[in-house]
Amino acid sequence: MRTRITGGRVFDPANAIIDQVRDILIEDGRIIADAPPAPGEDVIDATGAIVLAGGIDLHSHIAGGKVNLGRLLMNEDRLLHPEPFGDFCGCGGGRAAPTTHATGCRYSQMGYTAVFEPAVVGANARHAHLEMADIPNIDTGGFLVLGNDDFLLRLIAQGEGQQAVNDYVAWMLRATQCCAIKIVNPGGINAFKFNGRALDLDETGPFYGLTPRRILNTLQRAVSELGVPHPIHLHGCNLGVPGNVKTTLATIGASEGFPLHLTHIQFHSYGTEGDRHFSSGSAEIAEAVNANPHISVDVGQIMFGQTVTASADLMSQYRNHKIADPKKWIGMDIEMDAACGVVPFNYRDTSFVNALQWAIGLELFLLIEDPWRVYLTTDHPNGGPFTSYPHLIRLLMDKPFRDDHLGRIHKAARAHTRLAEISREYTLEEIAVVTRAAPARTLGLRDRGHLGPGARGDVVLYEEQPDREAMFAAPRLVLKDGKVVVVNGEVVELVDGRTYAVHPPYDPLMDKRLERWFDEAVGLKANHYRIADGEIRNGQGPEIVELNP
Amino acid sequence: MTSGASDTDGAARIVRDVVCGFCGLGCDDLEVAVTGRAIAPRRACPEAARLLARTDAPPPSARIAGTPASLEDAAAAAARHLAASRSAVFSGLGADLEGLRRLYDIAMVAGASLDHAASAGLFANLERLARRGWIAATLAEVRNRCDVLVVLGADPASAFAHFFERAMPSAPVPADADAAPLFVPHAGGRSVVIVGGPLSDTSRAQLTRHDVVEITVPEDRIATAAAALSAALAGRATEALAGLPLGVAEALALLAGRLKAARYGVLTWNAATLPPEDAAAVAGAAAEAVDILNVTTRAAVFPLGGRDNVTGAHQLALWRFGYPLRTVVGAGTARHVPDLYATATALADADLLLHASAFRPDPPPGFDRGPVIALAHPGTAFAREPEVFIPVGTPGVDHAGHVFRMDSVICLPLQGLRPAELPSVAAAARAILAALGRAA
Ligand code: SF4
Repeated sequence: MRTRITGGRVFDPANAIIDQVRDILIEDGRIIADAPPAPGEDVIDATGAIVLAGGIDLHSHIAGGKVNLGRLLMNEDRLLHPEPFGDFCGCGGGRAAPTTHATGCRYSQMGYTAVFEPAVVGANARHAHLEMADIPNIDTGGFLVLGNDDFLLRLIAQGEGQQAVNDYVAWMLRATQCCAIKIVNPGGINAFKFNGRALDLDETGPFYGLTPRRILNTLQRAVSELGVPHPIHLHGCNLGVPGNVKTTLATIGASEGFPLHLTHIQFHSYGTEGDRHFSSGSAEIAEAVNANPHISVDVGQIMFGQTVTASADLMSQYRNHKIADPKKWIGMDIEMDAACGVVPFNYRDTSFVNALQWAIGLELFLLIEDPWRVYLTTDHPNGGPFTSYPHLIRLLMDKPFRDDHLGRIHKAARAHTRLAEISREYTLEEIAVVTRAAPARTLGLRDRGHLGPGARGDVVLYEEQPDREAMFAAPRLVLKDGKVVVVNGEVVELVDGRTYAVHPPYDPLMDKRLERWFDEAVGLKANHYRIADGEIRNGQGPEIVELNP
Repeated sequence: MTSGASDTDGAARIVRDVVCGFCGLGCDDLEVAVTGRAIAPRRACPEAARLLARTDAPPPSARIAGTPASLEDAAAAAARHLAASRSAVFSGLGADLEGLRRLYDIAMVAGASLDHAASAGLFANLERLARRGWIAATLAEVRNRCDVLVVLGADPASAFAHFFERAMPSAPVPADADAAPLFVPHAGGRSVVIVGGPLSDTSRAQLTRHDVVEITVPEDRIATAAAALSAALAGRATEALAGLPLGVAEALALLAGRLKAARYGVLTWNAATLPPEDAAAVAGAAAEAVDILNVTTRAAVFPLGGRDNVTGAHQLALWRFGYPLRTVVGAGTARHVPDLYATATALADADLLLHASAFRPDPPPGFDRGPVIALAHPGTAFAREPEVFIPVGTPGVDHAGHVFRMDSVICLPLQGLRPAELPSVAAAARAILAALGRAA
């Protein structure tokens, strides 16, 4: 079956098509080259709409143990935000930690068609995949958390060489069916298990005697040599600590020319100036990102209101747990792999720190020049729920709107931000880059994030309107694999998504080594840790992302 | 999916590395001999051996009001009852995740409250976990890191036979680079302190290489002792000591000192076997103790529990509905009122009971206000014949499936050991959904 979307203004920056009225043709779930109208084809009139590829969120905590702990702590939020009743209701809800069905529907309603869970702990990967299989209308993938796992740290500490590390990383990616490697506080989560309370980039951690820099560089080399498309996705040292701008700049300097993705960089851009010893480091960070084309970032914008923070970084979450709001939190040391900490937060525009965090995020968005190296995120739910994206998009696109909000935040925070001086407004093209084209490119998803022939038939029609928040909140139409799933911001159809994984090859000797390790140290058979293809998406199996040559 | 390395021994097929889904500890090194449909356990704890052992006898058929029926007819009868019901209760929920997903689908279509047969301990723990939280550890962390283990209550091995073997192995001689524990200094060894007890002889034998202290406390004083321990850690004077046996206060003060000096102390308890009125207090005191300890050193709780995949039922309820069990779902909403939707309370107002128990032949709770639909183990002895009985296979015996381990992090793949002749809970529930006019 063929569908023609006609008359819309197409923004497809990956194919250098910017604001051109042209037809998009979809056949059997994929976009095909334009061809003359044929009898029997479905025609969708896109007049008055702009046409974009499906949105891609490359950093959003949507599935797995820590999200479920978030749900457990956020029953009030769940009660306040039930799913809209109707044919497509899943008896769930919640905004800060929404249920799986609500996650799929709310993302789909905004025109997103792929979302990546950025912190899959290996031991919990099967759970994360079972949840992902329950999320409708959205393709998913997981980033495996490494860099605090005892097997890896021992390999490095014993000087076993890069090849052994590469084999291990490849084994783990296959075993956990993930599509990229994330490092959370390299060495720091592990150090906390030995009662270490802080670990800076060049500090030596306990037991293994390794610095975060060494762990980072070793894993950067591994993903690069294995050909994993997405570079190391790094949640750096000292998250949230005033003065961490120094650590972040040093980390950029430490990347040794390997590409590196710095995630939720807003939380890593804090100075210590002023009488409150908390200031914006965004100008220095933006300058460094602008000067280093191998660095990409996502922002992790904070949004005012109630949320819950869920992170593998128990060292940082322990540090923050006293400011939990409401007053409850959960921490967990996990299975020689990593940890997690779940802390409810309420970001207030009347708080100096929160207001400045808000401004720092926006400064970063606006001062980093190349949109291909910035991805739009709130680090859902850590900076705020993903449902706030349309509002965030308007803050970026609409200077008067932004100034109006700036006028309402904590007065002293206003005095500490340059936001008012920044006149930049994101264009529709730039929004298409930061929410679609750029994340697809960095993840190696060649058939996503664009509207050229061969791309997935994930297409979104947004009604052109001056209120960009309203525009991006309720698209006129969302097609997933060529099927209409959302009309005027309402879900009209549920479809199954797919899950991305990379399967790099490894030396079979690693099987033997890990069988022994799991058997003796972990107390679980390697074969039961490893997730079979048939366990993904109810037997559908993973969609394999091609490795770089 | 699973290794299940097998070879033959005469007529029998030997299957190794069998994963166990019964008590929640998640042992995955069991061994059975399979001959036709008969299963003879070769390596398993007594509980698992009892539940794994099967004869070659043909399974019973489904029944409608006692009369043999096909699965389709039984499912259609179940669907008719469900469609007529206004307040259904789903109890038991002893099933793998695939079965639970389909049971929850039925609940969404027909409207029903959901609770698991083994959720009492879970809810005692949630009093603390959901309201204030705690710092916990998973099994491999305890296994490799814990230098002082404190058990509050009964010997864990009474319900989780292999607990000490898996959580507290001693360093092997000669040393082995991969063998747990990796982070406990060998010279000092580990300490195991049981507050309650007594330890069984088997457990004592299991722990001979550790430094074992038994602080004998009667069952109804364990909550007091736990409160005294956290008070001692906080440096508070304790009136709470009233009623503790002679010498216990001193022993607990010593224990507090040991925990403060420990690198990684772990407190464990089984909320399901503590007196119900005390279980939440024990969980609270343990979490409190861990909070205090973490200011200067490291410590974590390790709550015991998880029989028949109650952890999976809880996790699935959270990701599907945003609430724990003891929630009523249907008509597009979910309402979580634990006091109202605990099975025993919910049954007082119910007009239908659907009971699922695939792991063991546990009969449904007593109920006479309406029809009973049982998706149950073929060996179940019913006090009264259910309106609909669909015998189901056991996950990990008759078919594959997924269950959560007690620490709620590890989700394990179970495998089928013999040719399945009974439907899984998922298949039975799918048939009911189809009869209700819903595709699963
Ligand atoms: S201890 Fe528990 S998990 Fe282990 S074999 Fe026995 S019943 Fe199974």
